[in-house]
Amino acid sequence: MMTCKEVLDSLSAFLEEDLKQEVAVEMHKHIGMCSDCRAEFDTLTMTIKLYRHWEEPQMPPSCHDRLVKVLEIEKIRLKRGPSTSGSGA
Amino acid sequence: MATAETDEQLVRKSQQGDERAFGELVNRYESKVYSLALKMLRNADDAEDVLQDTFLRAYRGIKAFQGNSTFSTWIYRITANSALMRLRKKQLPTVSIDDADEREAPINIADWAPSPVEQLLTKETQQAMNEAIEALPPEFRQVFVLRDVEELSNSEVADILDLSVAAVKSRLHRARLKVRNRLATYFSEPNSRSAMGAKS
Repeated sequence: MMTCKEVLDSLSAFLEEDLKQEVAVEMHKHIGMCSDCRAEFDTLTMTIKLYRHWEEPQMPPSCHDRLVKVLEIEKIRLKRGPSTSGSGA
Repeated sequence: MATAETDEQLVRKSQQGDERAFGELVNRYESKVYSLALKMLRNADDAEDVLQDTFLRAYRGIKAFQGNSTFSTWIYRITANSALMRLRKKQLPTVSIDDADEREAPINIADWAPSPVEQLLTKETQQAMNEAIEALPPEFRQVFVLRDVEELSNSEVADILDLSVAAVKSRLHRARLKVRNRLATYFSEPNSRSAMGAKS
C-alpha cells in the first residue's frame, strides 16, 4: 500500500499518466480511500486547469513598431562594422 | 498563389542576408515571444524588453544557427534565457531551487476544486495566480510557464531549457505544489469564498 508521501510525490506523474500501470492502480485506490490525498489530487488538477484557462493580454501593436525600429537600428549598426561597442548583451 | 514558406526556408534565406525573410520570422513569432516573456515576468515593460532582446540576439546569431533544433525551439530558448537573466537581476534575495521548500505542506486544503474553472477565474483569483508565479524561484518559473501555461510537452521544455526530461518533470512537480499551496492559501481566505459558490 502506498503511503500519503509517496502519493504526493507521484501526483504530477499520475496526472500525466506517466506511471507504470501497477503504480497507477495503487494511486487510484489510495486516492479513492484517503480524503487528504483526494484533496491534494483535486486541487493540483484544478491549479493546472486554472492556468490553462488563463487568458493573457495580447501584444500591443506598438510593440511591433518599436521592435521593427530596434532591428533597423541594429542593421545599420552591423553594416557600419563590429568595432562599435555596446552590444547591450 | 504561392504556399507559405516554412521556417526552415526562411531561416536559410535569412542566413544568406535576406532581410525580408527575417522580417517574416519576426512576424510569425513576435507575439509568441512576447506572450512567453509576459507570462514569465508578469510585467508588460519587461516583456517588451525581452521581446527586443530576443530578436536582436536572433538577428545577430541567425548565421550561426545550425538547425539542430527547430527555429521555434531556438527562439523560445533565447526568450527563456533572456527572461531568466532579467528575473535574476530583479529578484530580491531569492530562494535557490535546492532550498526551495515545496514541503510547506498546505495546511487545511480547502476543497475548492469542485467549483467550475470559469467561476473560480475572477480578477482576484487571477491576481493570486500572478502572485503565485512571482513567488516561484526563476528556474521553477521557467518550467511551470512553459509546461502549464504555454502547454508545451516535457520534451519540448527540456530542449528549450537544455535540461533532461527527468529534471523538467522534477522541477515541474515541485513548482506545481508551490503554486497550488499559494492558491490553497488564497482560497482559504474568507473573501475568496464567493468565487466558490455556496461553500461554507
